[in-house]
Amino acid sequence: MTATEMQPGAPSATTGELLRLEAVTKKYGPNTVLDDVSLTVGKGEVVGLLGDNGAGKSTLVKIMSGVVPMTSGRYFWAGEQVAKVTRPETERLGVETIFQDSALVPSMTITRNIFMGREITNAAGFMKLKQMDAITTEVLDTVVSIEGLKSAKQLVGSLSGGQAQAVSIARAVYFKRSLLILDEPTSALAVRATEALLNYLLQLKREGVSSLLVTHNLHHAYKVCDRHIVMNRGRKILDVRREDTSVGELTAAVVEGMEGVLRYREGQPLA
Amino acid sequence: MTDSLSTSTTEPVSEPLVLDEPATRRRSLADNQPTTTWSRLKENLYYLRGRGALEITIVYAVIVLAFVVYSLSDRAAFPFLSSSNLAGVVTQSIPVLALLAIGAGILMISGEFDLSMGASIGFAGVVFIRVVNNHAWPIAFVLAVGSAMLIALINGYIVVLTRIPSFIATLGMSFFWTGASIYINGTTPAVINSPGEFMTNVFTGNFGFFRAQLLWMIGIGIIAWFFLHRHRRGNHIYAVGGNAAAARAVSIKPNSVRLMAFGIFGMMTGLAAVLTVVRTDGMQPGTTSDLTLYAIAAAVVGGCSLAGGRGTVVGMIIGAALIRTVENGLILAKAPGFYIQLFVGLTIVVAATINKLMEGRTS
Repeated sequence: MTATEMQPGAPSATTGELLRLEAVTKKYGPNTVLDDVSLTVGKGEVVGLLGDNGAGKSTLVKIMSGVVPMTSGRYFWAGEQVAKVTRPETERLGVETIFQDSALVPSMTITRNIFMGREITNAAGFMKLKQMDAITTEVLDTVVSIEGLKSAKQLVGSLSGGQAQAVSIARAVYFKRSLLILDEPTSALAVRATEALLNYLLQLKREGVSSLLVTHNLHHAYKVCDRHIVMNRGRKILDVRREDTSVGELTAAVVEGMEGVLRYREGQPLA
Repeated sequence: MTDSLSTSTTEPVSEPLVLDEPATRRRSLADNQPTTTWSRLKENLYYLRGRGALEITIVYAVIVLAFVVYSLSDRAAFPFLSSSNLAGVVTQSIPVLALLAIGAGILMISGEFDLSMGASIGFAGVVFIRVVNNHAWPIAFVLAVGSAMLIALINGYIVVLTRIPSFIATLGMSFFWTGASIYINGTTPAVINSPGEFMTNVFTGNFGFFRAQLLWMIGIGIIAWFFLHRHRRGNHIYAVGGNAAAARAVSIKPNSVRLMAFGIFGMMTGLAAVLTVVRTDGMQPGTTSDLTLYAIAAAVVGGCSLAGGRGTVVGMIIGAALIRTVENGLILAKAPGFYIQLFVGLTIVVAATINKLMEGRTS
């Protein structure tokens, strides 16, 4: 009996699917990093992607954001297959990936980071910096409200980890991205910044934005995610809605894989 | 099994988080923005610090002030303020180095170097002289700038396609183009046979207390400023040099941006080559390699980061002015030639150190 048969992973949101991967396999030479992984992210759904180091989370994220091609498998967006999954294509679809620290340029201002690659310009290509600064100020005030920020003209390099994450999120929100992939966003954050970040995700959800939270911190994921996907050695072993699982079961799955889940269920059968 | 579980479940299991009502509609950032002209000016000045241009301008002003005071106190021993000196230094040697520094600086911001600049100046100079002796000077001008751009773009493609560090690739090409210019010209100096008056005026015309090179520097400086600091393509150069992965994630193509930076670099090199050969009416291939390091030094002194992503046009120009001015001061004070080398060497190290410290403080 495979995991997927045990817990069919249907999107918990009722509004339908946004991203669907079917039978995705990724090989690096002789190594199979991802083995026949299928998953769905619903519209406005917050999905947690859990797993120990080496489980294949990062590779999966890179495939979803179009940075790395898959060896085989299919990629569907809103029910339609995407023929060629490249970064420009996923960007056009509205996928935004926030990596731990590589999404921003430290030597540029907050405004220039938010509008990087999508500058507001006149016909000749010259930037309208005043307008961009004003929008940034507005977005930082209303969407994410970062504490301790002085000006949109601050260099991103002068911000703390949490503030920089918030800038990434502000950027994703302002450009109305439809799927936000956060790769280990909380690992460098202080407690309060983490709380704020998780709050942003819920806020995004209210605005209909889906997010995929990649983390090994179960407690962060459990708080905000509607559904949890657990990876183990390149395979998906668990895909459950929050109401059908517990931190204990997820921990067992992450730490001990499928066997852990089975033993957990024998020991403490779910109601 | 429970052991391994309990170790990782020390945190209390929390209830699903309830979204804070956005009581945070405080608009703290918007309300704290400066409103008066004076406070806006103060804010802009505040965010200028740590980017090189402001600091180097202050240093330069102090040096010039010292020179002026010394010159006023002893006009004969230190004729810094004499009109021939000012017209010669400020308006002839500074602009050429400033153009080179703008080229090298923009390339440096994109995260690359080109050590073949000096060789490329030699080659473009030879091209200009040989064409201008037989054809109209605008044709020679276009071909000289074009050849320098071509050399830079070849370097760019080598760097982009092979991902060899640009230091190595362009070091190799530097020898190649020095050899090439000697191959087409021979080791005797190339000379402009009959420089036309109009051409001479366009590139090096004497306007009394300044020369035409100054106008070229100001014109190119303004264009470069608007391009680098206000145009989206300029913004992309900073993005790629500062964090190529982040730039790629927003669909900026780092390689196209790098090639564009190499192209601009080539344009500046070609222009500087023409200004140089028209001023001296000739060019000895193989004698221009010093300029490479002078240009990089000027850019670094002006606040460009060797790691890419940082630098300003004003900084590059002031960096060039500082090197040339101090050099001039040493010559006027009758210091031996090696003092200049000592000075340039020290300046690069000190400026790079200060840049590093500033980067650490603002990031």
